[in-house]
Amino acid sequence: MSNTIIPLLLDSLASAALIFFAAVGLTLVFSVLRVLNVAHGSLYSIGGYVAASICLFIASRQLNPYLSFLALVFSALFVAAIFGPLIERGLVRWTYGKSEAVQILITFGLFLILEDLQRVIFGVQSFYEDAPMRLLGTTSIGGVVYLNYQILLIAMALLVVIGLRLLINHTRLGRLITAVVTDREMAQSIGIDTNRIFILAFSLGVFLAALGGALATPTSGIAPGLGADTMVLAFAVAAIGGLGQIEGAALASLIVGLARVLAIYLAPSLDAVAPYGAMLVVLLIRPYGLFGSVTARRI
Amino acid sequence: MTSRGISIGVARCLSSLEWLFGLNRGVPQGKVRWVVDGLAGALALGVIAATPAAAQEKPSALGLGIFTFTSGPAAAYGVPGKNAADLMIDEINAKGGIRGVPVSATYVDEAQGAQGVIAEYRRLTGDAKNQVVIAALSSANCLALAPLAEQLEVPTVGWNCDTHQLLMDGKSKYVFRPNGNTVPEFIAYAIYLLDRKPDVKTVAIINPDYAFGHDAAKIFTAALKALKPDVEIVAELYPKLGSPNYQTEISRLATARPDVVFSNLWGADLENFVRQAAPRGIFTSSQVILALGETVLQRVPLPDGVIVGVLGDGWWMSPDAKAKPETVRFAEAYKARFGEYPVFPSIKMANTLIYVKAAYEAAIQKNGGKWPTRAELAAAMKGSQVETLTGTAQTRADNDGLVDQIVGVTTKTPAQQFPVIGDMVRYKGDSLMPQAGQDPLAWIATLKPEFAKSLPKPGSYK
Repeated sequence: MSNTIIPLLLDSLASAALIFFAAVGLTLVFSVLRVLNVAHGSLYSIGGYVAASICLFIASRQLNPYLSFLALVFSALFVAAIFGPLIERGLVRWTYGKSEAVQILITFGLFLILEDLQRVIFGVQSFYEDAPMRLLGTTSIGGVVYLNYQILLIAMALLVVIGLRLLINHTRLGRLITAVVTDREMAQSIGIDTNRIFILAFSLGVFLAALGGALATPTSGIAPGLGADTMVLAFAVAAIGGLGQIEGAALASLIVGLARVLAIYLAPSLDAVAPYGAMLVVLLIRPYGLFGSVTARRI
Repeated sequence: MTSRGISIGVARCLSSLEWLFGLNRGVPQGKVRWVVDGLAGALALGVIAATPAAAQEKPSALGLGIFTFTSGPAAAYGVPGKNAADLMIDEINAKGGIRGVPVSATYVDEAQGAQGVIAEYRRLTGDAKNQVVIAALSSANCLALAPLAEQLEVPTVGWNCDTHQLLMDGKSKYVFRPNGNTVPEFIAYAIYLLDRKPDVKTVAIINPDYAFGHDAAKIFTAALKALKPDVEIVAELYPKLGSPNYQTEISRLATARPDVVFSNLWGADLENFVRQAAPRGIFTSSQVILALGETVLQRVPLPDGVIVGVLGDGWWMSPDAKAKPETVRFAEAYKARFGEYPVFPSIKMANTLIYVKAAYEAAIQKNGGKWPTRAELAAAMKGSQVETLTGTAQTRADNDGLVDQIVGVTTKTPAQQFPVIGDMVRYKGDSLMPQAGQDPLAWIATLKPEFAKSLPKPGSYK
């Protein structure tokens, strides 16, 4: 067991990083818009498809392969710029103030449309482009070969947590978002353009989802069905951390990552249920999640 | 004709009631469900029994219900099957159909799950135009449809259906599998491995987390233990079907340091596993066996020396296949139409259509030139021996198929841009199968090292 401690910890962190990217956008959108976006998983996989397509284009034209790193971020920006305003203005804004059931039905409808759209455009075969992973090479840690890209993902997840905290606490946009989250009507009455904040916050959520998909592409395949799986896992993480809690999402990702990895190492038959087992335990002890509360709303 | 229409309508209404009240969602409904199922079945039987003459009239078109995955991660395996069906049906129709009757297919996506598949099966077979069903890819769906096929008396041919449990009771009249099953398919890998690497001590397994993955692990392990009892299984991993990321599983395999890694992952899962495991050294630190490896040869850069096979004899480049002009023609037509050469799921589907066509021709001949009923068609399949694109499909008395098993290792060839299978062996279909009615695992436990010695060796199939 002693020779598996380091791989176990590293795998937990790497797994948590991927899970965090899948969940953080969902929790951010909920914190600001109070909308549970069921189509979040589709935006994650669209980010992956776009990133893989651009990276494949770079490879086919024999351009500088390091451009593929830029392509990962650019594809997330591209998806956010197209889908963020379109979905928020076209669909989501009609659900503000409506019951959760209406919000879920509408975004679920969108999820089904986006899933079929991906199948029509990208086909049913697995999509994969691993240039960024190959460029960074591997490192042997504790006798196990790891991809340096996996370590980069852990660093990226940390950067996103810090970046979001800085954005919320130390920028004007962050203060405006905080004001809208705290009291939407009051924010409106003092002249804050809440519609603009909603578009920006939703697009930021889409960016984070698409970034997650894009960053996952070099080490994971993108195939039909990924959106649904991502969505379920993102919900579990959001529930553990407390809906709308960014730090909660980070901690919950760590818990889920560790639970999954422990299951794979020690009890492989529990692999699939481990994240939901962790969710069950947390919700039994803290029904509103680790960072959630009944009344307070924080981001 | 009117009464037949009414009967079909009532049967469909009852099926709808079943759906409406959730009786088919696994909720125990006791007698109510039994009554509804019974009535629906009785009406369907009535429909068939009431129209024997109509069933024997030569139809203007022959409909085939074909069940495969056209969406979801399993589509990577299911769509090549569908492509092959499209191509083979076009070829059959170009040659005048079956005795002048053109063939058409209605595809059902298996990704909707067993309840949806059952509903579609009922709908399709309620139409007399669809006299035979080709179903299915998923073992779970095959097991779900088999009792219905018997109840409705519809010839149902498993084009994939790997599970050995499908025909174990030996009582099936309408369900056929012109393929091998999990027993010969995975014993073949154990024998090939021990021939190639007789000093193997430790094995790790990574299979998908459902019946196919667990059955394969059980059979492969049982065969290894019977033939080399000191082999130790050091890790058994069952990731969820459709999992995109195997990094943690790969770390676990690396820490177990096995001599051999065995996997029957398939479709997009297999592609993902190969792409993620290769840079992390799994293919150099262990002898890897990818039971469905042939399906990814054209898509991922597999290194040399990986043990792969085709779960049967369905490799379009095997010496037997290459010797058949129709197979070469089929492979080239497939490549021209779909951009890739056929993979073994494509060949399995094409062979199944050849099997169905041969059954029709045999039944028509036996029937004095008259178009056969469903029962006559099923009778023609029983005990049949059909020349396929890649060998022979023999149907036993229990309706299970005997096909040869080809296993080899990946190797490069100047003739192709992708790896091919070399150092091959071709085990006879009946040599790796228990007798009809015999418990497969009990039979495997009786195998001795001498059994493996009597079989052909790697490299013998050229």
